[in-house]
Amino acid sequence: MSTSFWAWFGIASYIIIGIGIAILARRRMGAGISDFFLANRTLGGFVSCMTYSATTYSAFMMIGLAGLTYATGVGALGFELTYLAGIFMLVFFLPRFWLAGRKYGYVSPAELLTDRYQSRAVGATAAILALVFLVPYGAVQMMGVGYLMNGISGGAIPIFAGILISFACAIAWSRIAGMRSVAWTDAFQALVMIVTSAVILGVVVHYLGGFGSFFDKLESTVSGQLAVPTSRGAWSINMFIGLALPWLFFCISNPQVSQRLFVPKSVTAMKQMLGGFFIFGLIYTLIAVLWGFSAVLLVPGLEKADMATPALLSQPFIPVALVIIVMVGITAAAISTIDSILLTLSSMWARDIHRGLLNSEVSEARQLRIGQNWVIPIMAVIALIFAWWAAGKSGLSFMIAPLSSAASAGLLMAVPAIFGAFFWKRGTAAGALVSMIAGAVVVLVFQVTGLKPLGIWPGVWGAIVCTVLFFVISFVTKPPKEKAEEFTSYLKEKLTEGKFI
Amino acid sequence: MSKMGWVWIGFVFMLVVDAVIPWFALTHVQKMSGVFAFWLVWVVVAIAAAFVIVRNWREVK
Repeated sequence: MSTSFWAWFGIASYIIIGIGIAILARRRMGAGISDFFLANRTLGGFVSCMTYSATTYSAFMMIGLAGLTYATGVGALGFELTYLAGIFMLVFFLPRFWLAGRKYGYVSPAELLTDRYQSRAVGATAAILALVFLVPYGAVQMMGVGYLMNGISGGAIPIFAGILISFACAIAWSRIAGMRSVAWTDAFQALVMIVTSAVILGVVVHYLGGFGSFFDKLESTVSGQLAVPTSRGAWSINMFIGLALPWLFFCISNPQVSQRLFVPKSVTAMKQMLGGFFIFGLIYTLIAVLWGFSAVLLVPGLEKADMATPALLSQPFIPVALVIIVMVGITAAAISTIDSILLTLSSMWARDIHRGLLNSEVSEARQLRIGQNWVIPIMAVIALIFAWWAAGKSGLSFMIAPLSSAASAGLLMAVPAIFGAFFWKRGTAAGALVSMIAGAVVVLVFQVTGLKPLGIWPGVWGAIVCTVLFFVISFVTKPPKEKAEEFTSYLKEKLTEGKFI
Repeated sequence: MSKMGWVWIGFVFMLVVDAVIPWFALTHVQKMSGVFAFWLVWVVVAIAAAFVIVRNWREVK
C-alpha cells in the first residue's frame, strides 16, 4: 500500500485515540470555570510537566527549528537554548504565579494584571495583545502539519488538508473537556513526540555511521554553518538578539504557557513540572537541531527550508511505519499547542474582555458558553485563514521559526507590566497600559513594513519603548498602593514559608 | 544584597556570556567543539543552577 494510505491511517488512529482520551477526561470534569480552564488547579507533576512541554514545543521544533538549522546553521541551537535558559526565570515566577492564582482565584494571566493594577483596561489590553499575536503562532502550527503531510505523502495530501485536520482536532480537544482534556491529550502527545523523534534521530545517525562520523561529515562539508555569524552571513548578533529576546521571555509573556503556572496541585508537582520540562526541553531541542543538520547532509539544496524534515523523513532507509509514527508525533506537537492557545484565548476573552470590559455582571456559566461556543471556533477560523495565506509565501519572514518569534515579539510587550506586578510596587495601571499599547504598535508597524532601524529587530525596539514608557509613566502617575502592599506582603510571607526566592 | 538579587545578577551574567563567547571568542572555531559544544555546556549550567534552587522548595499551607 502507498505511503499516503499509511499516512491517512496513522492520522485516523491518532484522532481516534485523542478523542478517546479527551472523552475520558470529560468524565472527570467538574462544573465551573476554574475546572474547565484550569482543571480545578489539581494536576499532578507528570501531567503538568507534559502539558507544559507539549504546549511549549510545537511544530515549531521538528519543522521550524529543524528548518532554521538547515537554512542557517548552529545559531538556531543558540537561539532555542536561550529560550530554555530563560525558563530559569520560573524559579522566580512559577511560585509567584501559583501562589497568587490560588489566593485570588485568577483564571487567566491577564486577570492577575487586572487585579494587581486595579484596572480592567490593563487586563483587557493584555488579552487583546494575546488575541492579536497568538493568531500567527497558532497558524504556524497548522502550516507545520500541512507541510509535513504534504512532504511525506509526496504531494498526495495537499498542504491545506493537513491545515484542516489540525484545525478540527484542536477545536475538538479544547472543547470536549477544557484544560483537563487538553492536559491529558498533551501528556499523551508529548510522549509520542519525544519518543518518535528520538528513534528517527537514532536511525538517521546510525545510517550516517554513528555520532562521530556524523559530526566529522558536518565539519568537512558545512563547517561554515558551525560558527556564528555563518559563512553565508546568517546569525549576525542583531539577528540573534532580535529572534532570541522574545523567545527568552516566552515563559511569562505567552499566556498559553503562563496559564499553566496556575495548575499544579502542590509545590511538589510544581518542582516536577519545572525539572521535567528542563530535561524534556534539552533533549527535544538537541533532537530538532540534529535533524536539521542531518537534512543538510542528506537532502541538500531544498528550495523551502521548512521542508527539510519532510524531505529527511522521505529517505528510503527510514522504514515507512516509523515515518508514519513520527508524522503523528509532529502532528501531535502542533495540535497540542493550538488547542492550548485556543483554550487560553477563550478564557481571556470570557474573563478579561467580556466580563472585564463589556458586562461585569455576566455569570460564570455564560462566560463558559461564550468561550466554548464562540471564541474557540472563531479564533481557530482566523488562524486557519492566516495559515492558508502564509503557507503560500516564501522567504525567511514566512518560515515557521521567524514567524513564531515575531508572534512572541508582540507578546513581549506585556513583560514590563508582569515584572512590575510582582517586583515593583510603584508600577501603575497607566504605565502598564501605555507600555503595552505603544510597544505593540511599534512591533506591528516595524513587522508589517519590514523596518529594522540600525539593523535592530522589531521586538527589540518594542521592548525598549515599552520598558522606558512603563517606568516613566509609572513614576508620574499614582500606583494602587493598598493593593500593591497587600499583594506583595502576601507573596512575601508565603515565599518565605515555602523557601522560594 | 538579598539572595534574590544575587540570583538575578547571575542570570543576567549568563545571558551576557550567551552572546559574548559565541560572537567574540568562538567566531572562527568551525567545529562541533566550538559554539555547538559551548551552548550545550552553557545551558546545562543554567539548568543545574535552577535544580539547586528548586531543591529547597517546601510545601505551603
